[in-house]
Amino acid sequence: MKQPYVLIVEDDDWLAEQYARTLEAAGIQASAVGHALAAMDVIDTKKPDALVLDVLLPGPNIFTLLHEIRSHSDLAAIPVILCTNSADKFVGEDLAAYGIKTVLSKTTMHPGDMVAAIKKVLP
Amino acid sequence: MYMKGLAGNAKDGLYFDDLSFAFTAAHELKAPLALIRQLALSLEDGTGDANDKERMLRQITLTAERSLRLTENLTRSARLDDSLFTLEPLNPQQLLEEVAHEFTPLYKAKDREIRVSSRFRPMLVVANRDLLHRILANFTDNALHYSGDTMPVELYAGKRESGARVRVGVRDYGPAVPSKLWKNLEANLGKTRQALHMRPQSSGLGLFVAGRFADAMNGTIGAVRHRDGATFYVDMDASRQMTLL
Repeated sequence: MKQPYVLIVEDDDWLAEQYARTLEAAGIQASAVGHALAAMDVIDTKKPDALVLDVLLPGPNIFTLLHEIRSHSDLAAIPVILCTNSADKFVGEDLAAYGIKTVLSKTTMHPGDMVAAIKKVLP
Repeated sequence: MYMKGLAGNAKDGLYFDDLSFAFTAAHELKAPLALIRQLALSLEDGTGDANDKERMLRQITLTAERSLRLTENLTRSARLDDSLFTLEPLNPQQLLEEVAHEFTPLYKAKDREIRVSSRFRPMLVVANRDLLHRILANFTDNALHYSGDTMPVELYAGKRESGARVRVGVRDYGPAVPSKLWKNLEANLGKTRQALHMRPQSSGLGLFVAGRFADAMNGTIGAVRHRDGATFYVDMDASRQMTLL
């Protein structure tokens, strides 16, 4: 069975490393990039099974990235987990249009919450 | 407590009132605390091998130290008006060496390099050692976040305006700052005597505090955009000590 692959888009490299370590310990392959432009390159070439995205990034923000992804039919179905310090700002927002399945708060989540959220959206 | 902005007044530039200052400070501290918490939870869960655990502990220490620097700067900034501080002739080169030495462990842990551009005859500046150190530490910390991993961050000091002022700066090599953001900066520069630059995702709080420290020493902070990064600097009065000899 193919190991699932998750792309993490997070500009705090130590936090990205921490996410990757947690996911890999759970049997999920993961890699990280620090901004949306690099993310698009990896998404194009490696077609991840899911994305973990921070909201505030240097350069184009994640909604630009999500618009871009949604405009490609072969990428549009990739599920997205938002992982942000501002999770409260997304309460009640219509996120489904962007493919966002779950919003995790960096300040309250347990490392296991990310694993659970990813496993829930994997095909 | 009312805190003036970098521009010196609320009308001309960015400023923080009591509420937004507290909100922004809390927000700035949220990210490092969240990282420390995630690392600590992973250690509790027993994630990773011995090398991973050692690395996580080191990251916790360095992140906590970084956060403490911010809280100390905020405290110092809030009490700036009440405190007396000494202005004295300082060797900026020596101060830059100290800052570089202090940040080397953090840079090394992030696989980055920091270096001081050497000068044959460094000029002295009139400044308070603690405040100038804090300004340069702020710029150096900022550069770490935005620099790429292929070029070192450079700390330097150089003469300005026929030797009357000395520019002490931190040059990073990273992604170019979007022109829209820079236009906002230039608009501010045109109207105000203090230069302010905020990067994407930055609240500007660190620079706000650095600006207050500079202002207290008759200094001016600013930024220069480069094709491949940016320089953040503080212009200080040059010491005339040598001319009196």
